[in-house]
Amino acid sequence: MTSKTPQLDININLNYQQFELAIKQAIPLIGITGIFGHSASGKSTLLRSISGLEKNLTGDITLSDKELVNTIQGTYLKPEDRHIGLVFQNSRLFEHLTVLGNLEYATKRCKNSQLSLDEVIELTKLKPLLNNAINELSGGQQQRVALARAILAEPKLLLLDEPLSALDQHSKTKLLQMMLNIQKKLNLPMLYVSHSLDELQQVCDNLIVMEHGKIINVGNIHQVIHQLNTYHESNSDIDHDLNIIQQQTSLSLPIKSVNNGHGLTTLALNDQQDIYLATDEHFKLHQRLRCFILASDISIALTEPNDSSIVNQLFGTIKEVSHDKTNVLLIVCCGSQDFFVTISAFSQQKLSLSTKQQVYLQFKAGAVRTFIN
Amino acid sequence: MMNSDLQALFTTLEMAALTTVILLIIGTPLAWYLAKMTSRFKVIIEAVVALPLVLPPTVLGFYLLIAFSPEYLPGQLWQQATGQQLAFSFSAIVIGSVLYSLPFVVQPLQKAFEQLGDSLLEAGSLLGAGPIDRFFSIVLPLTKASFITAATLGFAHTVGEFGIILMIGGNIPGETRVLSIALFDHVEAFDYARAHLLAISLLVGSMIVLASIYWLNLPKKYNFKKVELNNDK
Repeated sequence: MTSKTPQLDININLNYQQFELAIKQAIPLIGITGIFGHSASGKSTLLRSISGLEKNLTGDITLSDKELVNTIQGTYLKPEDRHIGLVFQNSRLFEHLTVLGNLEYATKRCKNSQLSLDEVIELTKLKPLLNNAINELSGGQQQRVALARAILAEPKLLLLDEPLSALDQHSKTKLLQMMLNIQKKLNLPMLYVSHSLDELQQVCDNLIVMEHGKIINVGNIHQVIHQLNTYHESNSDIDHDLNIIQQQTSLSLPIKSVNNGHGLTTLALNDQQDIYLATDEHFKLHQRLRCFILASDISIALTEPNDSSIVNQLFGTIKEVSHDKTNVLLIVCCGSQDFFVTISAFSQQKLSLSTKQQVYLQFKAGAVRTFIN
Repeated sequence: MMNSDLQALFTTLEMAALTTVILLIIGTPLAWYLAKMTSRFKVIIEAVVALPLVLPPTVLGFYLLIAFSPEYLPGQLWQQATGQQLAFSFSAIVIGSVLYSLPFVVQPLQKAFEQLGDSLLEAGSLLGAGPIDRFFSIVLPLTKASFITAATLGFAHTVGEFGIILMIGGNIPGETRVLSIALFDHVEAFDYARAHLLAISLLVGSMIVLASIYWLNLPKKYNFKKVELNNDK
């Protein structure tokens, strides 16, 4: 038995006519790791390479000391021998089998199975659907079956390739919570590909950012998102700068009190300062809440705004000022937390803002966004 | 029906059944290979498989007759292996039928495999299913309708063969005398009553066979279009 964290070592190159993938990265597999990038950034190709479905690559991939592929030594483990699960964007369920038949397809082929079928049915809430035909299910239900089926094969690593992209908001929220729950209960590492940062912020601890077939950033999700605020797409032919994401402050804060009598919940930012947001029935006291505030939703005041309806007023120091053509991005440090604020160049001139200046940040409770709501 | 006609019927059914089994055994991997093939030689192999559809059966029969004769290598090898002459034997008409009915089995299977695509097979492999397992647990159940069509068309087309069997089989009762040739004999002998009986039995039999394939394929048609659409998303 090894107690060390499983790790995925990737060193691969892959060439198609219009596309090149070049990845050299060690990925520690803790919890859910997000892979973010725009379409054609190579996210799905990376997952296909790890799972063994993509054969036209050179290099090597190792999962916790087990070599999956090594083109120099000529080793290539077939997908069926890799113990890696993959949930696709379209569920890829077997329509000639019922829901239960699809689940049993995985259990029958799983050697030394540890998981009980009932437990997974319980986790994915599939009990009432077991005897249904696949074409009777909604999109969200199909993805639940696909998730359960993938888990029942008892993979060492589960890959998720945009599993929510075809679903409505309600089904997305439900499935995300299910994924988090499963990850914790089964301690199954997951790599989760998405082009939606909102989704990834809710479930991922670490984030990998890809662009044009390369990994451009890896690390703690909040830090990576903050670094992306000042990152501009490198190969952009367009004149003006184009950000890869909507500039924002990404937070994970403990809930200090739920519902103060006015429908607001308090998050502890630091010893002195709190953030208020609208209460949701799912909020639990002391639970850490993932949330984000768009940089364009925050405004700046030079004096303490005592007579404003805006509930969030934070005191901080300007750390950095950067310009593009019409906007100014400010990084304001409140305690130890950086906040990202965009204001117009006009306002910046009017207030003559500069670094080390002390300012007040203002934003409404509604500007604090959570994905699960 | 007279005894000789019954004998011809049994020879026909035996030939068609054996041909169908052989066709499914060699036609399935061939169709699979063609469906997955991306090389430019694909069109050539497809053309060779489709050749019996356009070629007069007598042309194929003529070349097979030459190949099967003891003067040429295939016929010689057969004779060395079995001690019997290949031309004008039951084995000869089965081999001829296999070649002649090949497109009727390969084409529907190839189309079905192409429509099925790789997505479900990839899903199967990630659940731990090897290639043989995937064929029996995914491909076969999802293309069952096409297997029924292929087998029935192969069988029915073999029953209806005439030219090629006349060329390589001769007309040996109990060995190579099949229904279509028996019918031809009756007509030549002006025995129209027996010819009618055989003709109408073949007609009605074929009708029943074809109607039953279409009926079998009706309710259990899998919706491949849906799978294809999902792939594009």
